Amino acid sequence: MSSMPDDEQRRDFMRRSLTLIPAVSLGSGVTLTASAAEEPPALADYQPSFFNTDEWQFILAACDQLIPSDEHGPGALETNVPIFIDKELYGPFGHADRWYMQGPFITDGDPELGYQLPYTPRELYRHGIAAVERYCQQEHDKAFSALDAATRDDILGRLEQDKIDFAALDAAPLTAGVFFSFLWQNIREGYFADPIYGGNKHMGAWKMIGFTGARANFREWVEQHNVPYPLGPVSLSGERG
Amino acid sequence: MIAWALPMAANAQAADQGVIERGAYLARVGDCVACHTAPDGKEYTGGLAIESPFGTIYSSNITPDKQTGIGDYSEEQFARAVRDGVRADGAHLYPAMPYPSYAKTTDADIHALYVYFMHGVEPVNHRPEQTDLNFPFNQRWAIAMWNWLFTEDEVFQPDPNRSDQLNRGAYLVEGLGHCGSCHTPRGFAQQLKGFDASDEDYLAGADLNDWLAPALRGKGESGRGVVDWSEQDIVDLLATGRNAYTAVSGEMTSVVANSTSHLNDQDIHAIAAYLKSIPAHTGQAGGSASKAASPDKSDIAESGTEAKLASARDLSEGERLYLDNCNACHFTDGKGAGHIFPMLDGNSLVNADNPTGLIHTILAGAEMPSTPKAPESVSMPGFAWRLSDQEVADIATFVRGAWSNDAAAVTADQVAEVRKTLPEHSFSVSPGYRSTGRDQQPTSGEQLKGGAPVEDDQ
Amino acid sequence: MASNSTVIRKEPVDAVIVGLGWTGSIMGMELTDAGLNVLALERGNDRTNADFTYPKPADELAYGVRMEMMQRPSQAAITIRRNLNETALPNRYLTSFLPGDGVGGAGVHWTGVLYRATPVELKLKSFADEHFDKGFLPDDMTIQDYGVSYEELEPHYDFFEKVCGISGQAGNINGQLIEGGNPFEGPRANPYPLPPLPGTYNNALFAQATKNLGWHPYPYPSANVSQAWKNPYGMQLGPCNFCGFCSKYGCLNYSKSSPQTCILDALKRRENFAYRTNCEVTRVELDSDGKKATGVTYIDGDGNRVFQPAELVIVASYALNNVRLLLLSGIGKPYDPVANTGVVGRNYSYQMTGSIDMFFDDIEFNPFVAAGANGQVIDDFSPDTFDSARHGFIGGSYIYTAQGSGAPISNTPTPGDAPKWGSGWKKAVKDNYGHSMSMGTTGTNMAYRDCYLSLDPNYRDPNGDPLLRMTLDWHDNDIRMTRFMRERMLEIVRELNPRSHVEGFKNFGDHYDTRHYQSTHNVGGAIMGTDPSTSALNRYLQSWDVHNVFVMGANAFPQNMQHNPTGTVAALTYWSAKAIREQYLKNPGPLMSA
Repeated sequence: MSSMPDDEQRRDFMRRSLTLIPAVSLGSGVTLTASAAEEPPALADYQPSFFNTDEWQFILAACDQLIPSDEHGPGALETNVPIFIDKELYGPFGHADRWYMQGPFITDGDPELGYQLPYTPRELYRHGIAAVERYCQQEHDKAFSALDAATRDDILGRLEQDKIDFAALDAAPLTAGVFFSFLWQNIREGYFADPIYGGNKHMGAWKMIGFTGARANFREWVEQHNVPYPLGPVSLSGERG
Repeated sequence: MIAWALPMAANAQAADQGVIERGAYLARVGDCVACHTAPDGKEYTGGLAIESPFGTIYSSNITPDKQTGIGDYSEEQFARAVRDGVRADGAHLYPAMPYPSYAKTTDADIHALYVYFMHGVEPVNHRPEQTDLNFPFNQRWAIAMWNWLFTEDEVFQPDPNRSDQLNRGAYLVEGLGHCGSCHTPRGFAQQLKGFDASDEDYLAGADLNDWLAPALRGKGESGRGVVDWSEQDIVDLLATGRNAYTAVSGEMTSVVANSTSHLNDQDIHAIAAYLKSIPAHTGQAGGSASKAASPDKSDIAESGTEAKLASARDLSEGERLYLDNCNACHFTDGKGAGHIFPMLDGNSLVNADNPTGLIHTILAGAEMPSTPKAPESVSMPGFAWRLSDQEVADIATFVRGAWSNDAAAVTADQVAEVRKTLPEHSFSVSPGYRSTGRDQQPTSGEQLKGGAPVEDDQ
Repeated sequence: MASNSTVIRKEPVDAVIVGLGWTGSIMGMELTDAGLNVLALERGNDRTNADFTYPKPADELAYGVRMEMMQRPSQAAITIRRNLNETALPNRYLTSFLPGDGVGGAGVHWTGVLYRATPVELKLKSFADEHFDKGFLPDDMTIQDYGVSYEELEPHYDFFEKVCGISGQAGNINGQLIEGGNPFEGPRANPYPLPPLPGTYNNALFAQATKNLGWHPYPYPSANVSQAWKNPYGMQLGPCNFCGFCSKYGCLNYSKSSPQTCILDALKRRENFAYRTNCEVTRVELDSDGKKATGVTYIDGDGNRVFQPAELVIVASYALNNVRLLLLSGIGKPYDPVANTGVVGRNYSYQMTGSIDMFFDDIEFNPFVAAGANGQVIDDFSPDTFDSARHGFIGGSYIYTAQGSGAPISNTPTPGDAPKWGSGWKKAVKDNYGHSMSMGTTGTNMAYRDCYLSLDPNYRDPNGDPLLRMTLDWHDNDIRMTRFMRERMLEIVRELNPRSHVEGFKNFGDHYDTRHYQSTHNVGGAIMGTDPSTSALNRYLQSWDVHNVFVMGANAFPQNMQHNPTGTVAALTYWSAKAIREQYLKNPGPLMSA
């Protein structure tokens, strides 16, 4: 039998378990503070990496409207959702790194065939926010963030219903409905994702609904039927709530 | 399966292939490769740094290279090195080489080993780092005195009152297998306190670089560890690195991977039978405390731990941290799952007087070796990146007192000491969460004022 | 883009396997057992169990939302259209189905529901001919028999269940029906290796309700194992702890059967096996007369174009990718739906699914206590267990409840009248989280003349190769089937009497809406059979046209069954391996005469 070309790979596999385990006596004296101890930044102190100042004001205001703080639980601002969105757009997601982004971009096909815009999420947000701000200037002569809550709600409702004509705002082929769906999806992600991504500060959204986070083991609960689960969540980094 | 480990020298055909194969097998039993191979080195070319109480000792090149290895050794010189710890030039080897145990090797087996190392191993010209100890340990002549005081140089003699199987097991354990090197406590001069079962300290468990090498004396009514195991449980652990109760950790991981997992069924059963024939006693480490010996740890207390964890109410810090970090595999009953998730209840490492091994395992994780009979390399993640010293101490203290366990509490200072010894890479096994920012991204200059069409940097 | 046009030529191997997921891993074991030198080429990254240790997988954003376990459309998207006149558009990010990527393939992120086909599902056309009036089936329905029988596959199902440590309750052992199991399954030689998983509260409610209705609930056959298991390869699984990160995630507890937990460490020890990752096979190369493959060409991680000579080529990537590779390589005649000629691309079909979420006031479900195959099922409405002709269709569905994930980005259902955002949305999420249970139906999808796979004329991958184009839409037979299942599920809703419920079923006139996840049970396109004019592969999964090319995967299914495909995909792989070992290697050539 001829020798296989990738023999070294097998040796590596066989050896790996042995080299992974360091001998106690061979130390280099590294110390590490558990990352759970790191306090997430205050939203007011955060310097966005992707959004410019005006865009950031829009994101803050939209987040506050879409998940407000109230007696039911924390809002999107309290839980640093805008920071999550900024980080996501700055990172691989914002660059559509996994998406197929080759043309032709046929944007008048049936919506059931899915997203066909030539935009990465970063570009989509840039165009979408700009269109909404133009609309606010046209209709109300103010920035979105300067409007009262009822007016903001009204505008967000129109976006959701695709009732603001983005083409008339020079934003085609982006539509209000598509922009809103991304915004709302990303806000919910930031609200409920692990705090390691910048939102869901101190697991506030998880605590509100009773989600357990990254605990990820419940064998003894499978057959405790119809019994409320008493324990708060834990995050990937080990923060406990 | 082991063919890749046996590069055949060009003149291999000249020697008797059967003798070479037997020598290769005996080299497995003796686990020569473990010490005579550096982490990134070729097999048997030496250079592994062995920490000893005397200082760092580097192993030698034992390939048949004539300049840097043992290519010029006669069989007689080879036998003296293996059994008496004396080099061809007459200098004494440091007793990191387990020649006090190898002394029991029969002439026939020495011959097979010699033929294997001369004809079955590729010569490699490589001069490993030389041992350079401080006075007085650099005085190799003193080892002769040590040998005279503390070693026995008898070739193994079968006991006619024992079965052939037990004699075979004794020969393997006491001789080439050199189990006692780690599992027998050492005396004031680092000498082993006993070389066979006639001595009550033999295989009674020892602290090896702060890590418990548990007692292997397995005959008894009940108790922790080997005493409670069946012969098959021992066979499983040696053959696969795991059994119904536990999994190997620390140094034993490489012993299983390189040595015991390659033994034939007959030999591995002989080893197990022999260990089960040696009476356990209450002084032995990591196996002495029987459950009955702890009246305050009744079955009620055991089920108490389980019930409290299952209710998830009114938890202590340690209990809560156990649920958040350990319960996924070890479960509320502390029993884990046979052959894959070690049992913590009654576990010798968990209950060791010295908690270093337990702390180290929590911080750095562990991985079972891939073996022919259990190929899966099952790993426990390290938690050093996730838990503070106090949190690790809380978990360790909890598991050492949970179920039927009854060992002393652990402090954050003890954890901090172990953490300092971890090499940097043990932290790199923390989950590689994708970074939320991209390093190569420009942080300015791409930001837009006003919302003009974007030329993004795709 | 592979810029380097010079081709590196590698040392020949006996067999090359394209893709190292379930079928590639199984073939690796079987062909190395036969003494062949085997090389597997995997397009994605290497992945081992150590990559999935706690808590890394417990990350909904990375795996449940950003789909980091999956094939990247940037590397190879699928274009989709619903009819021959529409322009197909690319599925630019994953939505409707989720092919895997990397070592282990979709076998890492799958849910872990492991079924056998029923005897009838494997010979559906014969069954239809016997049980339906002539003219009942629409003219454009192109269903066929597999060409292999349940009896022939049974030993292979049995073995793969042991490889996986499947946990479940048998319903029929050698013809003996067993209470609590599925009485409608094919006869089994052995019970499941392990007892069923314990079940969450939704399971108990569903079981009671369906019993009340006179039906036969049984626990999901689960590859999330109930107890520690050591399989025939010496590989090991640990008991599932209901971590709640299962479908779409790598298992953090060695509890979900996957190539990693069940095969790969054993395979990697073998001297006559090797694998290379980040190697994307772009062509199976043929000799001058096109009758025999000479090896494969791939692009390695550095962009080099490499030719790997091999005596035997096993195409073992995802079903859709297998079909594309055959089309790109010119193996078999491409299907033409207008002329109704050709075979490669023919009989692509999907899965007909529907769901109901029920909301209760006072019940605590603890939705994070979850496992992919934690569920209860009824098979009372399978293709051959009731008189579907009376209701106007051929086919059937199983109806189930499952509690598979409580991760909140994707699993916070709210009643239909709840606000979609704002304070009202938040209140609705809070009030309903943990107080809802879901039911689903997974059903057959028949094959039709106008549902097929082909190369796209407009869109290309980064190597310059055309993307695969999918043409698929729903047909009335299948809509009638799912509407019938909706009625049955509403009966269960009435039994359980929730405060409210939300339903999601397709209706007459609906078209394939690619925007929402439906199923990763994409089947057909290179189907098996006994007639080379209507199948791309013979009954041993051997290409009719190029005898040293064997194609593993659900692409072999002539139409989709109600039951999840992995069990049948694996059984067919062992079946094919047996034919290769016992027949082909002794006398390489076509195993069936055309």
